Parts: sequence; C-alpha cells; structure tokens
Amino acid sequence: MKLFAVNGSRFASLSSLGALTLSAGWAVAWSVGLFVPTGSWPVRLALLGVGVGLSGGCMALWIGLQKRRCLAARRHFEAICELDFCGLSIGDAMQPPAPLPTGHPLESVSRRLLDVYRDCIQRMQELKHTRTAWEIRYRRAVTEHERIKSIFSGLAEPILAVDDFGDLVLANAAVEELLHFDSNNPQQRALDRLVHCEKLVALFAATSQRKTSGRRDEEIEIADETGQTRWYRVTADKVTAQGEKDETVAAESGSVVAVFRDISEQKVLQRRNAEFVSAVSHEMKTPLAGIKAYVELLVDGDAEDEETQEEFLQVINSQADRLERLVDNMLNLARIEAGVVKVSKETRSLNELLEEAANVVQPAAEKKQIRLATELSPMYLGVLADRDMLLQSAINLLSNAVKYTPDGGTVTLRSRMEDGRVRFEVEDNGVGLDEEDCRRVFEKFYRVSKDKDMAGGTGLGLPLAKHIVEDVHGGTLAVESTPGQGSIFSVTMPDAGQLT
Amino acid sequence: MPPKCPAAQKEQLEKTMPKRILLCDDEIHILRAAEFKLKRAGYDVRTANNGEEAWQAVGQQMPDILITDYQMPRLDGFGLVQRLRANPETEHLPVLMLTAKGFELSHEELAERWNVIAVIAKPFSPRELLQSVNEILEVREPAAT
Repeated sequence: MKLFAVNGSRFASLSSLGALTLSAGWAVAWSVGLFVPTGSWPVRLALLGVGVGLSGGCMALWIGLQKRRCLAARRHFEAICELDFCGLSIGDAMQPPAPLPTGHPLESVSRRLLDVYRDCIQRMQELKHTRTAWEIRYRRAVTEHERIKSIFSGLAEPILAVDDFGDLVLANAAVEELLHFDSNNPQQRALDRLVHCEKLVALFAATSQRKTSGRRDEEIEIADETGQTRWYRVTADKVTAQGEKDETVAAESGSVVAVFRDISEQKVLQRRNAEFVSAVSHEMKTPLAGIKAYVELLVDGDAEDEETQEEFLQVINSQADRLERLVDNMLNLARIEAGVVKVSKETRSLNELLEEAANVVQPAAEKKQIRLATELSPMYLGVLADRDMLLQSAINLLSNAVKYTPDGGTVTLRSRMEDGRVRFEVEDNGVGLDEEDCRRVFEKFYRVSKDKDMAGGTGLGLPLAKHIVEDVHGGTLAVESTPGQGSIFSVTMPDAGQLT
Repeated sequence: MPPKCPAAQKEQLEKTMPKRILLCDDEIHILRAAEFKLKRAGYDVRTANNGEEAWQAVGQQMPDILITDYQMPRLDGFGLVQRLRANPETEHLPVLMLTAKGFELSHEELAERWNVIAVIAKPFSPRELLQSVNEILEVREPAAT
C-alpha cells in the first residue's frame, strides 16, 4: 500500500508537471503570438513547441536544484543519525558532519537537533565521570574490606561482630577456634545459635539494646573443646554510623563488635596473690597470737610464780624472733624476686662456704641430738657466687633437714664434682616427702608435715634457697625423696673454672 | 537417810566433776597458753597436736567441748569436724574453732552445716576464750581451782 501510494503520488506529480509544462508552453506561444503575426498553423505550432521546450527546460532545471537540496539534507540528517553519542566529545559536536547548504529550510531543525545532540554528549560525559568516581570508590571499599578482613584474620585476639539483628557480620579465625563455629556457613548466622555461651550472647544483646555507644566489659569463662576453661575479658562496643545518610548503613547502627582478651594468667596471678596474702597473714598471725595470749596472761596475773612468768616471757621473745625472721625472709625473697638485691659474685671455695653453714646449723642439730655429718670433696671446688647469699641457701637447706629429721637422726652434707658441674647435697633420714610434696615443696608457705618441732619455720626457707641458687647463680636445686625414709636436696652450679 | 539412787548419784558426781575440754593445735605455745588459762579456771584440759590425735583422744574419753585449730598436719580442723559429725556418738559434741585463717574460711558454712558453735580468730584473747567456753558449757561460776 505504501509503495502504491508512493508510486501514485509520483504519477500524480509527473502528470501535474506535464500539464504545467504544456500550459506554460501555450502561454509562452500565446504571448509571442501577440507580437508576431500568426497566420499559419505551422508557425503557431512551432511557437508552441518552442514555448513548451523553454518551460520544460526551466522546470527540469528547477527540479534538479530541488533534488540536490533534498539530497544534501538527507546526507546531513543521516550523518547526524549515525553519530556515536558515547564515543565523541563536545568538540566533535561543535563541528557537525555534512553541513546543510546556507538558507536551507531545514537549517533551524538541524540547529535544534545539534543542540540536543550536544546536550546529550555533555550528559554522557558527566555520567562517565560519575561512573568512574563510583568505580574508584567501589575498588577502594573492596580493598579496604579485604585489608580489614586480613588484619582481623591475622589478629591473635578473638574478635566478633554482629548486626542489630544478632546475626554474625565478622569473625576472625581466633574467635572461630575459641567458640567452635564456622563463620562461612551462610545457613547459620544467628549468634545465639552459633555460640553456646549464654553470658556472651546476653552481653551482645545488652550492648546492642543500648541507645548510646559505650563499652561494656565482662569477665567470661569459656570452655574449649576438651572442656578446659579459660577466662576472657570481653569488651563489647556498639558501632554507630554517625552522620551516615545512607539508610541501609544507618540501619546497622545497632551493630556490636567485641574483642576477647585472655585473662587466665591474670586470674591465676590474682588467685596466687590472694593465697600469698592469706598465707602471709596466717604466718604472721600465729606468732602474734602467741605474743598476745602470753602478754594477756601476764597482765591478768595468771602467772603467779616467777618461773611461769619467765617461761611466758621466753615464749613472747621467741615468737617475736619468729615474726622478725618471717619479715626478714619475706623481704629477702621480695628483693631477689624484684631484682633489686645487690649481688657481688666472686670465685669462692664451695667447701669453705658449706663448712661455715654447717657450723651455723650445728647448735640446732645438737639440740635434737641430730648428727650433722659432712662428707666434703677433698678437691677444691670453685663456684662463682655471692658469698652471703649462697651461704644463706646452704643454711636454709640444712635447717630444713634438721627440722624434719626426728631426734637422734642424721643429716649429711656432701659436695663433689659431677659432669663438669659443682654439686652439693643435703640428705636427711627424716619424714620424707610424697610426690605432691616434692612438686610443691619450693612454693612459698607450703608446709609438708608440720609438727611441734618445727614451729619456728617460716615456710619461706626453701623458696628463698631456690631463688638464690637458680635465679641469682644460674644453678639448679632439686629434691628426691622417699616418704618415711628421708630426702635429698641437691644443688648443682656451673664450675667457676669454666666461667672464667 | 535413804540411799540415793545410782542415777541421781551419777548426776551429782557429774555436777561436781570439772568439765572436760579437749584442745587441739599444732602450735605448741598456743596450746600451752589456752591450756594454762582453762586449767586455772578449773577445767579438765587435755591436748592434741593434730586432728588425728584429737580424734583418738575423743575415742578414749568424750570431752564436753572441743577447741580446735583449723590448719593442722595429718588431719586438719575441718576434717576432724567432719569425722565427728559423721559419728552418732560425737555428732553433737560442741566445737569451737580457733584459727588464723582469713577470707577463705566460710564461718556460715561451718556454723550451719557443721554445727561449729563459734570461730575465734587468732590472735585471740585467752580471757575471751574462757568466757566463750563458760557460756557454752553454762558454767556460771568458774569451776573450783
């Protein structure tokens, strides 16, 4: 139909053009006939032919010109239509392809079309800039996320974050290992299902429900897979996206991040401190109790005769001495532990030191009819030692042996060179120690089997000796024992010859 | 005069006999001070150096009251109280605890669960110890010295 219509229109146009040409030719012939005598038909016809020819030529010229303008417009608009909006710049838009002839009726249409075209180019450029900016931000965010993730994964301290719905957002490897869960499981994100620790879940919930940000600390005991527990201080903090315009980010403002710090060692230290204070208090109160009780008996006049009064005064004196020894030992131990004690090491004869120690302990041994035997090496044994301190540790070991040996027993002091090291040992045939006693005998205030004969002990003699031998002199102090048969406390120290 | 019946005689005898106290402590000077004060007040005082000795002493002769230290070798004061309470013959024996132990000792548990009448802290006053013993044994007048 369209084709027919086009052909029909062209036919109509050609017919019209033919009629117009004939009319023009007749009009030309008629006009010429007014001035030229026209008597004959041939002349008239010739004039008509000339007229038709002239007007036809004019028409053909006009049609040719029109066709040329149409073709120029067609090329112009086709070129515009084929333009690539994405690949051209504003500069390209200022110089349109195949320009229209001057005065062309479609010039204004073309101008407007080019304006639109330039506008589109400009918008396209803006969009390209915006897209580039977003791509940069996105890449930065991804890099940042990966960096934070990598830092979190590498942290030794467990870290856990949840959103305000209580779903897992972030968890590092340390927290997964601690709480035994897999954070990569997309099916299970709810914290209260992943973690089987009510106190921890409650801490997260309480922190999330707070309206303001602020840290909450809680000490939580967490069991590992073997059932052994460790103490953690969990610091939970609410994450608020302040000034964030994005609604989705703002909605996550109830997120909570928690850091776990292992405080098991601290707890053990606290417990040991408390036990130590309790032990010190007990050891100080015992002689104080004696002093106070006997003073009161004297004040109340309960001791009527001089002999009893003398006895009570002696008890008070001995208990005061005991208290003094306890305080001295505690201070010595504290000084050595704190490293503030002045140590002056010189190469000395071990045997001379041991003989001196034996002389100090001899009276106490005699009091209990204990034989103090010395079997010292005939060789010179050199040790690089602080004289007073090593002497103190030897005295402590000998006194301890005398205390735990029943009346009439034997304490033997030996020295020798063994495996390139200097060794001395104190052997007794006393009550002996069981396995646990051997393990704990060097703990402060640890008492193995206290009885009335060792009331003067402070519970610090052996720990002090161990500190002196091991921490100050780099030696070793060990114990071997058989319950009921006795114990051997042995000290080994580097040979002074090797040190110099 | 009609002769008194044996029960009445026994009761009279018990009234006139000094009350028996068992003292248990591993610190010999503490033992001596408390023993001295209580003996002067007329009590029949026996001593033990640890829980085991005290347990044996209770088996030989039942005291009217036991005064014991807490921390002792072989058998401590708490172990001794547990043994006493597990035995029907000694479950009601009045016990006073004398100790230098601090916060780690639960006085409430000792009183409520183990029926320890009082826990006296060291350093202690022998005078106050005697008063407590008098109150527990309901001795208004000190026994004859």
